[in-house]
Amino acid sequence: MSKIEGTCWVADDYVMAYDIIIQEYWTSAIDPEDNSLWVMAGVKDAFNKENGFKDNGYTFIVAAHNFAGGGKSIEHVVAGLIGAGIQAVFADSFARLQFRNAINYGLPFITSKGIAEHCKTGDTLSYEPDSGIITNMTNGTEFSSVPPAPFVAEVSAAGGLMNYVREKINKGEAIG
Amino acid sequence: MTYQIYEQTVNHPDQINKLTMGMTITEKIMAHNSGRDQVKPGELVWVDVESVMTMDYLGKTCFEKFRSLGPSEVFDKDKVICVSDHLVPPPNQKFATMLNEWREVVRQHDITHFYDLGRQGIAHQIMVEQGHVLPGKISIGTDSHANTYGAVGAVGNAVGVTDAAVAMATGKAWFRVPEAVKFHITGVWQPWVMAKDLSLHIMGMMHWNGHLIYKTLEFTGPAIDSLDMAGRMTLCNMTVDLGAKNGIIKPDQTTKTYLEGVAKGEWEMIESDADAQYEEVYEIDINDLAPTVALPDKLDDTVTVDQLVGTKFNKAFVGTCTNGRLEDIEVIARILKDKQVHRDVNMILVPASQTVYLEALQAGHLETLIKAGVAIDTPSCAACAGIHTGVAGDGDIVLSAGNRNMKGRMGSKNAQIYLSSPAVVAASALKGVISDPRNL
Repeated sequence: MSKIEGTCWVADDYVMAYDIIIQEYWTSAIDPEDNSLWVMAGVKDAFNKENGFKDNGYTFIVAAHNFAGGGKSIEHVVAGLIGAGIQAVFADSFARLQFRNAINYGLPFITSKGIAEHCKTGDTLSYEPDSGIITNMTNGTEFSSVPPAPFVAEVSAAGGLMNYVREKINKGEAIG
Repeated sequence: MTYQIYEQTVNHPDQINKLTMGMTITEKIMAHNSGRDQVKPGELVWVDVESVMTMDYLGKTCFEKFRSLGPSEVFDKDKVICVSDHLVPPPNQKFATMLNEWREVVRQHDITHFYDLGRQGIAHQIMVEQGHVLPGKISIGTDSHANTYGAVGAVGNAVGVTDAAVAMATGKAWFRVPEAVKFHITGVWQPWVMAKDLSLHIMGMMHWNGHLIYKTLEFTGPAIDSLDMAGRMTLCNMTVDLGAKNGIIKPDQTTKTYLEGVAKGEWEMIESDADAQYEEVYEIDINDLAPTVALPDKLDDTVTVDQLVGTKFNKAFVGTCTNGRLEDIEVIARILKDKQVHRDVNMILVPASQTVYLEALQAGHLETLIKAGVAIDTPSCAACAGIHTGVAGDGDIVLSAGNRNMKGRMGSKNAQIYLSSPAVVAASALKGVISDPRNL
């Protein structure tokens, strides 16, 4: 994968799946474009309007512990982030339900300890998927990250688990 | 410690020369259901699933995704379980239409087990009480409290619709084998202290989505052996709120007795090896465990009930996949028998399934509760999902036996939600302020 560059939004603590997709949209269709219109609406007032988050044009989200926690397994969360143009999320840790969804959608959720302490909203970051190096180009700091397992990289390269499995089925290949 | 999926696991030097290592119950189940002799934490495995559950508001999407993978028939019509629970009975036209679309898609796929309105219940209750989750097997569901299935010694796991669609097509799901943490529970259950109190106690101790993220949590010890299936379900149910992958209790005679006549397949009595590896082991003595309450907004902000005695509230709610079972209803009926819910409190009970509803009716509990001034509604997720049946409005202070209390969970963001056991809810409803059931 080639290098990705863009600005970041630094999340506060306890940004939950509930805040990313608020309750009134849980029963809507899972669609990146639709879900992105109101993504992050529960985080703060500035995002609680149509395209309130998306219009900022962020490429990355930087967070601390347990990003997208609170227990929802709905895929609207990851779909909404993708629809809003997010290409990777860096955090100390992720809630496992959304971590799993992110893997299945091919959106890199990348573990990088302490990164939130060294980034401010609006900083320009670059991410090299092959080396796992994240660089804050605004302040010159650099971070390492844990490379994804081969399976995760394969799913990502296929464009998500659906494509990965569909291909296997089409070719008559066994899964697992 | 990193939590990302590792490329390779690294064995402790002491273990490298051992041909086989002891495995935890979860590791064994993952090994047995992926055709391996041994698995280790960090490994990625594709496992066979015993059952796949999906429900009304996500189910149509789930089937659409399944169809987009190619096959027109699910891997096993007896093992894809469909439940109407979040939207029933429909409170508005939008949900009524969604339910109709859902019913149509379930019929198209000729699904054997469809628990629709009239035969409904909260999906996790249905999965266990109808024997769709079995000891030694793995079941997944498109709702986060699928962790409940660990109560019968199964690996129960919440997934999104993508994983469910893949499992519908292939009968398989991918898993990273989780590291294990054990909670060894000793002591004797004291009067009016329930499994929910232990759940909330552990929540306060370990923190909501704290460092138990991705782990398997195993509950062992004499206090677990003596716990009924309802309590085991409560305990495993809330492990998702600790951030864990699953919670599990080894199957025993209680499990066998519960499953007799309802199990929908063969099962395997699996338990952890004596030399299984745990990252940590916590010992909890419940002799001193007090009824515990989570304060509004954060699940891990817990206190013992004595610190809240006298706190005002106006809505009492008992139900949900956490505490809507017959045993829970029995407890509130005992407390409210021949008494009246306080005039300043509106109390609602929503049994977790039609089976529970009927059993509570036959036992006389519903009559007791109706006479006490409790409103009873048809089984569903009800106000716990903030969708219908007693949602919270601005200014409401709710005392709930449910599982989540973040702002807006039960409706208005301007409502407060305290979480507790059914015993605390009933004792408090009686007094009109938060009360300790031990002092009645």
